Amino acid sequence: MWSGWQSVLHDQVESVAGASLDIASDGRKVKRPPPASGGLLTFSKGLWYKGGALGLRAYIVRRVLLLIPVLVGVTLFIFGITMLFSPLERATLYVTNIRQLDNLPAVIEKYGLDRPFVIQYGTWLGQVLRGNLGWSQVISMRVGEALIRSIPATLELAIFAVPIIILTGIFFGTRAAAHKDKPFDHATRVVAIMGWSLPSFWLGLILLMIFYGYFRGLLPPGRLSITAGILVDSAGFIRYTHLNTIDAILNLNGTVLLDALRHLILPVATISVINVAFIMRLMRSSMLESLGKGYILTARAKGLAERVVVNKHARRNALIPVITVSGYLFAGLASGAVITESIFSFQGIGWFAWQAAVRLDIASVLGFALFSAFLFVIINLIVDILYTRVDPRVRLGQGVQ
Amino acid sequence: MKDLIRIRDLTVRFYTYEGVVYAIDDLDLDIRQGETLGIVGETGSGKTMTALAILRLIPYPGKIESGSIVLLGRDHQSGLELLKLKDDRMRSIRGNKISMVFQEPGAALNPVYTIGDQISEVFLLHRRQGLGREAKQRVDGLLSNGSGPAAAVKRPFWRWQSRLYSKIAEGPNPLEPRILSHIPLFRRLLWRLRDEARLRTIDMLKDVEIPDPDRVAGRYPHELSGGMKQRAVIAMALACSPELLIADEPTTSLDVTIQAQMLELFRRIKVDKGASVLFITHNLGVAAEVCDRVGVMYAGRLCEVAGVEEMFLHPLHPYTKALLDAVPMPGKELQTIPGMAADALNPPPGCRFHPRCPSAMPMCQQERPKPKEISKDHIVACYLY
Amino acid sequence: MVRQIAKNPLSLAGVTIIAIFIIVAIFAPLIAPTPAGQMNPYMIPRDGYYAEPQSPNAEHIFGTTQGQYDIFYGVIWGCRSAFRVALVVMGITILVGIVLGSLAGYFGGVLDEVIMRITDIFLAFPWLILAMAITAVLGQSLRSVMIALVIVWWPAYARLIRGDILQLREEDYVEAARGLGASSLRVIVRHVLPNSIYPMLIMASLDIGAVVLSAAALSFLGLGAPEGYADWGQMTEFARNWIVGPPGEPFKYWYAVFVPGVFILFFVLGWNLLGDAFRDIFDPRLARR
Repeated sequence: MWSGWQSVLHDQVESVAGASLDIASDGRKVKRPPPASGGLLTFSKGLWYKGGALGLRAYIVRRVLLLIPVLVGVTLFIFGITMLFSPLERATLYVTNIRQLDNLPAVIEKYGLDRPFVIQYGTWLGQVLRGNLGWSQVISMRVGEALIRSIPATLELAIFAVPIIILTGIFFGTRAAAHKDKPFDHATRVVAIMGWSLPSFWLGLILLMIFYGYFRGLLPPGRLSITAGILVDSAGFIRYTHLNTIDAILNLNGTVLLDALRHLILPVATISVINVAFIMRLMRSSMLESLGKGYILTARAKGLAERVVVNKHARRNALIPVITVSGYLFAGLASGAVITESIFSFQGIGWFAWQAAVRLDIASVLGFALFSAFLFVIINLIVDILYTRVDPRVRLGQGVQ
Repeated sequence: MKDLIRIRDLTVRFYTYEGVVYAIDDLDLDIRQGETLGIVGETGSGKTMTALAILRLIPYPGKIESGSIVLLGRDHQSGLELLKLKDDRMRSIRGNKISMVFQEPGAALNPVYTIGDQISEVFLLHRRQGLGREAKQRVDGLLSNGSGPAAAVKRPFWRWQSRLYSKIAEGPNPLEPRILSHIPLFRRLLWRLRDEARLRTIDMLKDVEIPDPDRVAGRYPHELSGGMKQRAVIAMALACSPELLIADEPTTSLDVTIQAQMLELFRRIKVDKGASVLFITHNLGVAAEVCDRVGVMYAGRLCEVAGVEEMFLHPLHPYTKALLDAVPMPGKELQTIPGMAADALNPPPGCRFHPRCPSAMPMCQQERPKPKEISKDHIVACYLY
Repeated sequence: MVRQIAKNPLSLAGVTIIAIFIIVAIFAPLIAPTPAGQMNPYMIPRDGYYAEPQSPNAEHIFGTTQGQYDIFYGVIWGCRSAFRVALVVMGITILVGIVLGSLAGYFGGVLDEVIMRITDIFLAFPWLILAMAITAVLGQSLRSVMIALVIVWWPAYARLIRGDILQLREEDYVEAARGLGASSLRVIVRHVLPNSIYPMLIMASLDIGAVVLSAAALSFLGLGAPEGYADWGQMTEFARNWIVGPPGEPFKYWYAVFVPGVFILFFVLGWNLLGDAFRDIFDPRLARR
């Protein structure tokens, strides 16, 4: 899981930087793999480095082009799985409304589910691109619709969790690096390893046991309590974004806001604890590496105060790998925090995917998998592009000599 | 010539896992005003540590055990004991009165900030009042010359800025601008300071003969060649017209052709700026080119100090002679110095060089030879004299 | 190396923890004997069919969980199934990773591209969703979980080996071996692989913890081990309905939640500590290369 991220991180950063970037996280020091080959799509140096805008544009084009075979492969993979089932079973993947269920042979006929593989793939892909992910008989609605309904919840979780994770991790990581080998550092290390080893589902259960059981419903599971739910569904409450907190603010409704926040605390805490440990260690080792560099001595020799040296010079460099990882973190969370959502009955993408898997709702599972993959890949792409903003060395490709 | 820096009895020890290392052992050294003093020696002889000691940048686990480093000069007629200064005073000396250039320019520059930013930083740090004055002048100029409706609207802002900048020009660390700088949006009001700093930066870059300084200032370190980077680092060091510039092997990592240009630059600096230069190198040829006086260090101690011609024509210390002999010359058989460099953890007793010295005497093992002035300005620490 | 592990208190703790787990796993039949007549020792014996968990008592040291499954038996044999899952998944993953990674790295070209794109495809899925999809399709059992985990994990290892090989390929001794006429296979196996073992060891030891965590998560979600199987995740799932006790006794069923989770925690902790220690030890070698 993390190792997968690391190698993905490496290769994508590699293909950007063309230089060796070492992510020295205390949990994983992965060796420097050479650049992921771009194969036919490796642009010559010339196109890269006309400077500024053209360089960036070329980079984006290149990345998108590299993306397409992957996405195609993803669809092929999912489609391949569907082909393990009989045409009758597969028919539901093309259904758009409930009445069609009565006449499945007609569906089979219409979409050519007995034709050769390639043609079927084409048809299926066409449907998918049109947004038709099929019909789930288990939940009695279109898979696409279920997806859209569950996105806001996961988004809300991610939006709250990621900043907390990043800020806390950066803060403690920097301090641990600044107080290396002192008690604070050792304490952070122990806390980090423990946090890192915690089963998230167990943590969630324990938290519920305490804050919902012992404290009598102080922080309950779910997204909203019943009363708030009624308020939200009422006529006076306009749903702008379907994110409870933001909608509550936009509607100037304090009760709903408070209620939504109360329900968010535990899931966000559960996600955060484990990921903060990771970011904290990453930031620490990144800071230590940065502080060992020559420009720190130069900064001190210039007469800068230690605080400025650490905050302005060291940290800015140390943040680079951390920001990238945080981006991937967001990608991972946005595409499905299954365990947390299932424990707290937080009805987001992960929760629906889980329900589908347990109830053997193949159409939904595959639909969600497809969507998740797309989302994950696209967010990763955005992170990579943002990375070029963050690290000047990488902006224009190779340097001027 | 008057002295600029007087180092007396300097001892720096490193407390490592394996034991105590005497990086510098009872060193006496003078740097005179306006001279270029070279320090020559093998790796581990303590030359870099001397430089770092002057700036009090000795890294952990090193410690300046004892001694005194006194800074004399225009502002400190009676001498300023650097080793006893408080941190903030020392910081006002670093980069300002004494600055340093390092060996690897690529490593010395921060990759995420532009060259211009890094040089301007020095001005913003040490020349804030001057910048404030210039900014105020500029704003006052706008106030008196501005006409038309656009100027009328901006006038109150200008008046506020003028007041702000005059506060900066007066005080060290005045209150109002300091508060403002912490509020993110208002920080931009101090942009004029940055502008002035940038102007000075470009002047600085011109001084070190960097072509097209305007564009270079906007570039990042990785976009420049080694020679350019080193020039930028020198510009950074010379920004505040220091009295002493310490250069730690500044040409070692550069191409030979660039090296020659660099040495020319150093020669020019000496003439134009009148600064003293402490030039550290292991290359005798470079030392001969650039320095007025040369000192030779071995195992944390000074062996010999003399004027450059005197040193090369009449070397006295056996180590110096051996070094000069070891310089490869066409037609001559390659000479080496027998033995290994002194072990830092268990150095030889007495004179550190005696195990490898062709003229060693029994006395050399017992007690360390004291430096003696043999002829004018020529000091040797050896029992031969 | 052993000395270095012994010096660091954290790594020593890790090794101790793992050692304890190994011992428990090996001696499981002695520590928690299977009741006579039960065919599959991995199914937890039930003391009745009553739903409510019973507190720890003389007969059930850690109490019973939902359906009267003995918790003690479950967690002890759970050590065994944890190791089983970990070793099988890691073993196959490393094997597949080595094979594909070597092919990609050593021969380069189109083969490399193809294999890399395939890994990209698998890495495009958030791992848990991919695992869930696979277990949903294959049916819910521990075997599907293991297959799913192998599928999720192999890309990372293939990439790692490929990267190593790409670098080592250029080393002089590899050229020398080829010059002497060694076949590609021989070169890979005898020269390249032994040198790339170390980073893989590190990654593997860190990942064993992650593998067991993931397997437990999948079982917890109901997609893995069948009901009543001695699996820590599965046992935690039982406890799910009992996290809140009756009013006045909120922590009544704490043992049902706490015990299996603590076992997972310490198992993963032990491996993480060990992996951390490995990384510290082998780090200089990595840096040197």
